[in-house]
Amino acid sequence: MTLVAVGLLLIVLAGVAATALSRWPAAAAWVFRVLFGAGCVAGGIAALAVLAGTAVPDVRFGGAAPFGAWVFGLDPLAAVFLLAIVSVGAACGFYGLDYLARERGHRAVGAAHLLLALLVTALAVTVIARAAIPFLVGWEVMAVLAYLLVVHEHERRDVRRAGLIYLAVTHVGILLLFAVFATWAGETGDLSFDALAAHPAFVAGRGAMILVLALIAFGLKAGSVPFHFWLPEAHAAAPSHVSALMSGVVIKMGIYGLLRTLVLFGAPPPWWGWVVLALGACSGVLGVVWALAQHDIKRLLAFHSVENIGIILLGVGAGALGMAYGYPLIAVLGFAGAVLHTINHALFKSLLFLGAGAVIHATHTRDIDRFGGVARRMPATAAAFLVGSAAIVGLPPLNGFVSEWVIYQTLLRGGSAGGAIQLAGLGAMVLALIGALALACFAKVVGVMYLGEPRDIAAAGAREPAAGMIRPVVGLAAACIAIGLLPIAVVPAALRVGSVVAGIAPATAGPAAVAAGPATVFTAGLTAALLLAWAARAAVVRRRGHAEAATWACGYAAATPRMAYTASSFAAPLLGAFRSVAGVRTTRTAQAFATHPSDPVLERVVLPAWHGVRAAAMALRPMQRGGLQLYLLYVVLAVVALLFYLFATGRTL
Amino acid sequence: MTWEEVAALGILALTAPAVPGIAVKTKSFLTGRRGAPVLQLYFDLWKLLRKGTVYSRTTTWVFRAAPIVVLASLIAAALFLPLDGRAAPVGFAGDLVAFAGLLALGRFALVLAGMDTGSSFEGMGASREVTIATFAEPTLFLCFIALVLATGDVSLGGMLGAPLAAAWPGAGASLSLVGVSLFVLLLAENSRTPVDDPATHLELTMIHEVIVLDHSGPDLALILYGSALKLALFGVLVVSVFVPRAALAGPVALAVLFGGLGAVAVAVGVVESVMARLRLSRVPQLLVGAAALALFGIILQLH
Repeated sequence: MTLVAVGLLLIVLAGVAATALSRWPAAAAWVFRVLFGAGCVAGGIAALAVLAGTAVPDVRFGGAAPFGAWVFGLDPLAAVFLLAIVSVGAACGFYGLDYLARERGHRAVGAAHLLLALLVTALAVTVIARAAIPFLVGWEVMAVLAYLLVVHEHERRDVRRAGLIYLAVTHVGILLLFAVFATWAGETGDLSFDALAAHPAFVAGRGAMILVLALIAFGLKAGSVPFHFWLPEAHAAAPSHVSALMSGVVIKMGIYGLLRTLVLFGAPPPWWGWVVLALGACSGVLGVVWALAQHDIKRLLAFHSVENIGIILLGVGAGALGMAYGYPLIAVLGFAGAVLHTINHALFKSLLFLGAGAVIHATHTRDIDRFGGVARRMPATAAAFLVGSAAIVGLPPLNGFVSEWVIYQTLLRGGSAGGAIQLAGLGAMVLALIGALALACFAKVVGVMYLGEPRDIAAAGAREPAAGMIRPVVGLAAACIAIGLLPIAVVPAALRVGSVVAGIAPATAGPAAVAAGPATVFTAGLTAALLLAWAARAAVVRRRGHAEAATWACGYAAATPRMAYTASSFAAPLLGAFRSVAGVRTTRTAQAFATHPSDPVLERVVLPAWHGVRAAAMALRPMQRGGLQLYLLYVVLAVVALLFYLFATGRTL
Repeated sequence: MTWEEVAALGILALTAPAVPGIAVKTKSFLTGRRGAPVLQLYFDLWKLLRKGTVYSRTTTWVFRAAPIVVLASLIAAALFLPLDGRAAPVGFAGDLVAFAGLLALGRFALVLAGMDTGSSFEGMGASREVTIATFAEPTLFLCFIALVLATGDVSLGGMLGAPLAAAWPGAGASLSLVGVSLFVLLLAENSRTPVDDPATHLELTMIHEVIVLDHSGPDLALILYGSALKLALFGVLVVSVFVPRAALAGPVALAVLFGGLGAVAVAVGVVESVMARLRLSRVPQLLVGAAALALFGIILQLH
């Protein structure tokens, strides 16, 4: 814990230094890099030690504080999220230095670095908190800091709107969390996690209420359908490195919350597992269908976060079903798969956001259809982005495959287990549908954005960004490849976390149960085979030479980039097949075909509901006159009404 | 990995190009023509391997890497199939995910190579390919789920190996449905009629052929060979579901497998002779139908 504390202190200091030294940008960047990097390394080492099996004692402050002591600790579940926070945080922090550099002078860049450092700290505090009060404080600070970072470009109207939606949603979430903990603690008032875990059996309905409220609150943070509507807005509005951090780790706090709830609550009833599984399936399929419809690269990536939260929830749901129906292996595998996918998604999604950010930085546009041919102009970024795309699609031999493989196994084992849990097997079909749609979507993104010829003058002038923006992206790609190459190095740790969540001894599901060894042979062998084949091909081509020509346009001699397939056309057949849920408007003229995405939940449910609430609130407006005496009268009236209520129900003060 | 398994794999790799040849010969016979020789693909591959390569100036390394990724992924996928009906050369719990993942890897590489040329035709083919795959992949997994339910095994070597023979008496109806569903998948995944017409050479109507318009020489040979191998792999899946070979002696099991592959090729040829290509918008319905068959196969086994 000392190491974590030192690390967090260094990270905060890095942020402070970046602001204090903002008059000397080069020195500020240098100090920020050293302190921030050292802090992240310290946190990472502490997390890895715990994941390797070291036990860390809890730290307690203020035993007499209201609602119990402030306890902090690092168990494997907290450690795995801490690891994601520091690794993605480091990449985003370093990237931000160069990404924001050109804004220096007309915006408080140093403050943005400070906010980012504080956000990383708040995230870390939230996961190491072992009592409700520090958890909620960390949660709220995290939410507000994320809001401030989202509205970085606050002079833009759409950015302010996105920030406001995010702020409203996140506060609804924290209110629900107050309700969860208040209901949970009941009469005792002790809000430390140990006390919550030792709760006596809940009276009928109270346990169900806790689980439902927790699911909504954490679902709002995670961005699961139908609570996702804030996510694409906020992610698109934020600067790219903030989007990467939000998508990589901030929304994962929702997953952390769900898993922590399960640790403290114990086995949930079966219906809860089915609800989570269904939410996961809906999030996964709808997220990727909506992503397919987007033309704004950042909104597209944001919808893929909805999809991947769906995949993670499939794992959580299957694990919860394993707990509920008493299949320890399925429970451990499900949670392990969910945790592993959380880490993997943190890596490849931040990689994709940072990679896309580099292209946006170079071209000043986010419209996929205006790119093209970027791979020839930004080869390193393009190669890293391609690795991230293959990883998010779940292709072997990359990390996305490893975690999806564990989740598939969980679902299939559920299917063959017998009894009611058999239906979970169909989740494997849903996962396959999600995977195939994701493949279509990333074929579109990579194909239209990076390959082919530039469709726009901006794309034609794209150049690689500063090395400080390439290194984090390549580093994340290397992490994706490494996890893919060595499942055996990560799966045992994930299983340890899974058994913590499932509440059973780690010995129940050894690495042998998930065949991490043979999978390692497979992914490493496949990688080796691909590299060998590439080398052999290079040798043959060098010996035999090749000719170059224009692309064969079926005899047409004057093909132009405008004739290349657009993102709209590419996605059209699939969007047509899913038109009932895609929420896409199509315009078709003799010369042009275009699809216009919308978010059905935001446009048809949330905004109308919000306008209803607003109208109701306006009806109360006449009460608000602005005079202090009037408000005092209201207070007195409320107290009197409460007293009457107490007397009428026969209670005493 | 025993030497018998390696030998079986070698024979499959050598005979794969004959599978589309048999299909074409069948179609020619049924439509009253003489048709190309069964070994035509071997001649084509030999010719292409000796030719030079032309690359479009638009393309990047993605285009150049695609043929080897396609072929490597299919060869790797072949390693997971129990050709002798007993055990696969490589196998682990959940390797069916790796099998499907490898098919997806090959598809991703091919589709990106198509997009890399910047040609609208190839973009069209890429778009169609991923659309069809979106319906094919869940169907494949429904078939796998049905097999997992029937055999209680989560690896391809087990699902298609000895446990499958034991499952036939109890789950015969379900397994037959799965076999039919897999055959429809074979047609769709390999761009055969009624999903695509391998004989057509009008770019606008093609799916698989149009993605590889710009590939030439040895690259095209690798892709064509990969297509033949993919057809053979799906053929092995279909034959393995219908004819469990665990009880047969090694050489007999292999003979049955390759006889079965020939029969599948003939069936593909028959379908091509009696059916026209479906309208593209109808293809998803065909695949959803196949998925429904597999789903019934699953429902029959719920207990």
